[in-house]
Amino acid sequence: MKKILSILTGITFLIAGELEIGSTMPLMDHQLADISGKSMTLTDAKGDAGTLVIFSCNTCPWVLAWEDRYVTLAQEFIPKGIGLIAVNSNESQFESDDSMEEMIEHAQEMGYNFPYTQDPGSRLATAFGARKTPHIYLFDEKDKLVYRGAIDDNARKPRKVKHTFLADALNALLTGDKIDPVSTKALGCSIKFN
Amino acid sequence: MRVIIAIIFAFFLSGCSRVELIEANSKTIHDHVSSFKGEKAVLLNVWSTWCVPCVEEFPMIVNLGKEFKDLKVVFVSADFDDHFDGVKKFLNKQNISGVSFMKNEKDQPFINGIHPEWSGSLPFTILFGKNSGTIVNFWEGQEPESKFRQAIHLALNE
Repeated sequence: MKKILSILTGITFLIAGELEIGSTMPLMDHQLADISGKSMTLTDAKGDAGTLVIFSCNTCPWVLAWEDRYVTLAQEFIPKGIGLIAVNSNESQFESDDSMEEMIEHAQEMGYNFPYTQDPGSRLATAFGARKTPHIYLFDEKDKLVYRGAIDDNARKPRKVKHTFLADALNALLTGDKIDPVSTKALGCSIKFN
Repeated sequence: MRVIIAIIFAFFLSGCSRVELIEANSKTIHDHVSSFKGEKAVLLNVWSTWCVPCVEEFPMIVNLGKEFKDLKVVFVSADFDDHFDGVKKFLNKQNISGVSFMKNEKDQPFINGIHPEWSGSLPFTILFGKNSGTIVNFWEGQEPESKFRQAIHLALNE
């Protein structure tokens, strides 16, 4: 009996693994619904120098605290060849807080200057192993994952940020320098899968 | 006269505060959990007042703590540091008494210190065995009461 319990415990320990550094961008042709009214894929979002995928949503307090930096990062790095796309995988809220109408309104209010898309079936979140918002994945020009995790180390107080993890990773990617660290963590809201 | 009544009222309100909310890092929290080894299983729940699934499952966890006398529930708030009073107010509203924690550490060391396999997604729950003091189960996100009960039974027998 104890053995069975141990096996069951071992199984419940398994949390879907996150995409490993060096992995190829998954589900690049998965159709996403963009706030522009058009359908698009990660392939469409790709930049010549790399691609930034942000799992996000409309209401998470950590998203609300960090999303001003989505916009400034987009302003700085899209002209340098980085593709940027925000993905909303909260499928269980697509009829409420994360509806397309709410997403359009949210993007307008916050001045989003990049695609903001719904992920039907939360398939991208599942394939990436993304479990929270905001959650960042940066790929190089060959679509290999080079950084994942947090934007920086202070959501609420941008002026008190000491480590600009994502901006550093983006700059290193563009200059060909080593990205360090390649993985960071921050608190966030759980993705609302169906 | 009004001032005196206000002071008395404030004193009365502070006297009603049952919870002792302590700002702590992950090490202090684990030390607290370890102090129950051999006496009680421990359910550690990291939550936030702004996390809807956390708030939804909170009363259920409180009730489980009341139901199992050999189970100690330890709540850890991961709210932003300027929300101390709001956290305390919520805990008192939920009739929480005794020690409760609020994170005072940067996200990354806090997350890795609580559990290295935790992504940082809230809520986060860990069960520690009553006799072993070791982790018998953990999970991210909101889960049904049945999952909590199954894990509690495991923890009480380990």
